[in-house]
Amino acid sequence: MAQALSADSITLSIPHAKPFHGVARLVVGGLAARLELSYEHLEDLQLALESVLESEGYIDGEEVTVHLLVGPDSVVMEIGPLHPVVLGEELGRDAGQEISLSRLLSTLVDEISIEEGDDGHRIRLEKRVPMTRPEPREPV
Amino acid sequence: MTTAGGATDREFLRRYHEGGDLEAREQLIEQHLPLVRSLARRYANRGEQLEDLVQVGSIGLIKAIDRFDIDRGVELATYATPNIIGEIKRHFRDRGWSIRVPRGLQELNVRLSQLLERLTVELERSPTIPELAEAADVTEEEVLEALESGQAYSTVSLSAPVGQGEDGELEPLESLGELEHEYEVSEDRAVLAPGLDVLDERERLIIHLRFWEGLTQSQIAVEVGVSQMHVSRLIRRALEKVREEIATGRGSHEPHA
Repeated sequence: MAQALSADSITLSIPHAKPFHGVARLVVGGLAARLELSYEHLEDLQLALESVLESEGYIDGEEVTVHLLVGPDSVVMEIGPLHPVVLGEELGRDAGQEISLSRLLSTLVDEISIEEGDDGHRIRLEKRVPMTRPEPREPV
Repeated sequence: MTTAGGATDREFLRRYHEGGDLEAREQLIEQHLPLVRSLARRYANRGEQLEDLVQVGSIGLIKAIDRFDIDRGVELATYATPNIIGEIKRHFRDRGWSIRVPRGLQELNVRLSQLLERLTVELERSPTIPELAEAADVTEEEVLEALESGQAYSTVSLSAPVGQGEDGELEPLESLGELEHEYEVSEDRAVLAPGLDVLDERERLIIHLRFWEGLTQSQIAVEVGVSQMHVSRLIRRALEKVREEIATGRGSHEPHA
């Protein structure tokens, strides 16, 4: 199910069903462990992912694809395909005193955008993290 | 019970119930916290941290103080004990492991919760997964698995009536000692927020601190007096309740005045 494209990119496709959301959380956890992210950053990433998967805008398709990208000082999660109009409305809603998706995501990650790819629209979440990646292990 | 100043429980109770003296209420809470701690200790090592159980038990104590009938010839400690134990038991029943999780994983989850607190203090930052793994003497994968298993914990019955105790009575404000001020401040800002009305007071406070004040989980843990991992569970549970509320189309529900 998980397909590692390179050391800095992981793509995971799972059925869009709650029992499989834990699989996505575990993959994010595994990546966070390898990158030596803090527990709090890991929690933020996992909660952001869950929030999108559980959101009203995420209603399209039977499969969810989560694409994880590691930048020099950030982790990016691209999640899709999703309904661009519904999700756009959710994100555009004035957060005010409401626990909106926009309120959640703006607390948990640093940049949020909706992008169009070959397979439809997806949300792009970027979290800047202090990257203290371990040196590659010496071969035994 | 008599304080160093000579005031008895009964005097404090009278001042609180008849004169609305909140300081007397605080005094009663403080005086009986050792009782709560002693009772909570009986239920420790069952998958919950002692401090979390103390906080849950304190809610029982506060309910007992608020409901106490000063004309009855019974000691507050006697009256409060079943309330405290009841609250702790309800906590285990409502927020227990919702699916079968191997005992080893449950124990590791609890141990990680304690290590998370310790390492956050020692390192003066949130620890990494490898650091947690090393401290727990397990692999990183085991840490992740145990953390994930924690997701099976803490689900409160979403079909349960909101804001009601098991006896059907409306729950009193679940404020705690010196935290009361923060709860009140939070109330002012968050109680009218759409969707937040489905949450209990502590959940609203935590959500407010995390998503409006921008506090981290560890900062909230200190503020509210529960473990960091418990904060994480409470946030998830609160968000789940709000989503459930929206999904069931209760959007027209009027928020609490």
